[in-house]
Amino acid sequence: MQQQSTTKTLRDLGIDPLKAAVASVSELYRLPQEKLDAFKAELIIDSFRFHYENNCYYRDACNDKGITPADIRSFDELIKIPLIPIAKFKSASNHELLSKPLNAIEHEMRSTGTSGVPSISRRCSPTIDLAVSAIYAMYREFLGISKGAGLYVCPSTEEIPEMGMIKALNMLAGLLDTHRFMVREERFIPEDAIAQLASWEKQFTRHIIGPPFLIHRLLQFLKQTGQKLKLDNGSMVITLGGWKRFTGQMISRKEFALLCDEYLGIPPCGIRDIYALVESNVMAIDDEHQVKHVSPYVHFSVRDMNDLSREVPAGEHGVLAILDPLALATPGMILTEDIVSLVPGESPSGRSGQRMEYIMRAPSSLEFGCCAVNLERKMDEDEKAENSCPVTA
Amino acid sequence: MFNDIIVQNFSNPTHATELLQSTDTIELGNPVCGDRIKVQLNIQNGLIQQAAYAAWGCATSLATGNVFCKKIQGAAVVDIRNLSKEDIDKMLGELEPAQHHCLEMLHNLFAKFQQITHV
Repeated sequence: MQQQSTTKTLRDLGIDPLKAAVASVSELYRLPQEKLDAFKAELIIDSFRFHYENNCYYRDACNDKGITPADIRSFDELIKIPLIPIAKFKSASNHELLSKPLNAIEHEMRSTGTSGVPSISRRCSPTIDLAVSAIYAMYREFLGISKGAGLYVCPSTEEIPEMGMIKALNMLAGLLDTHRFMVREERFIPEDAIAQLASWEKQFTRHIIGPPFLIHRLLQFLKQTGQKLKLDNGSMVITLGGWKRFTGQMISRKEFALLCDEYLGIPPCGIRDIYALVESNVMAIDDEHQVKHVSPYVHFSVRDMNDLSREVPAGEHGVLAILDPLALATPGMILTEDIVSLVPGESPSGRSGQRMEYIMRAPSSLEFGCCAVNLERKMDEDEKAENSCPVTA
Repeated sequence: MFNDIIVQNFSNPTHATELLQSTDTIELGNPVCGDRIKVQLNIQNGLIQQAAYAAWGCATSLATGNVFCKKIQGAAVVDIRNLSKEDIDKMLGELEPAQHHCLEMLHNLFAKFQQITHV
């Protein structure tokens, strides 16, 4: 007897399978792997069909490769789904990515990256509905935050409202009792951040939130001035953005964890890094073992760098391809420029689904790093200018 | 979110092309959001015979490039130079606050046009 389709069962009940998926993150992570894969495949196959039927540019690309929705029937066939190179989101012809008319678009989000050309991702209202639920569900699953104070070591959304990274971090503020953005007009004053943390002592569980390089600046300042803080039980350091500095130097995660432990009193299990892409609705968030779990309804396919039609086994490095069924306005089948690996074996946290390790931006990428790198470069230039000798002749 | 002028010019970008031969180029960028518009012009005997653009950025920026080219192609240089601020203000229709930087970009395109056609 043929197994009943889960998405069909949900639809027959009047429930949107995508809405059910984003609202059931914990439950999906507890499904046996085979069942999770089958459900995820159904969502992605539906999404592929929708974009094939409604997006002329994508359909032509699929037809060129000889792939139609009839060719994708199961989880094992997802690898055949044609991918859109992420650079298309930056191109002057990115309007071709729309599977819905422009007047269906509610929100445009951008990431400027380091090339200076913005990557624009457009979302319709149903995609925003899904993304908002999805982001909060992932925050609840891996951060479990519902109160406390957030020291945001980054600019506010008021300063850069369309920046995806800041927008995603700002959503976390809705779960907190209070928060403060410590980067204003591209300036970060560590003394102000420390004073802010002190003012919240014994009132709120204090969390530190921002891109790694800025939190690293705070840690370096504490180290250089010999100040050791002891934040609270349950305090977290939550990072989003690349680990590469504008100088090209990588921030060592191990050193970062040691500094957090010594100068903030936050042990490694309290450090939670987030991987996200503005072009997609996926998030991968560290669990208490510092292992990143991919949103359970999104599929990561890690491709051989020399043959992108081939997947590499878990544990090997490759180029990340994302199959994101939540993207309804533009195809969510994206070939990124990120080198990652999938973590083999079973998760110590007991969750099923995929786990990933971010390695680096592909050397061939025009983007050196994420948009946070631009901010760091600008801050560094301003600080050098302020500290330079005013005598010019 | 998008008015009819923006929808029409974004969805049907009649001037989003590259001119093989051009007499002038206008380029501008918004350092805050990264939006960029590049316009190529072919001006002969005081007449703008062709105008084409490429734009990178939000939908309103892309539409702005098309609105500018549509307005100037086929027109006399002198007529474009004489457009008033009020004329330009109306070209993109009613915008949301987050889209107002594009009106600024449109004004800058006309300002640069003034510069390159200054005799």
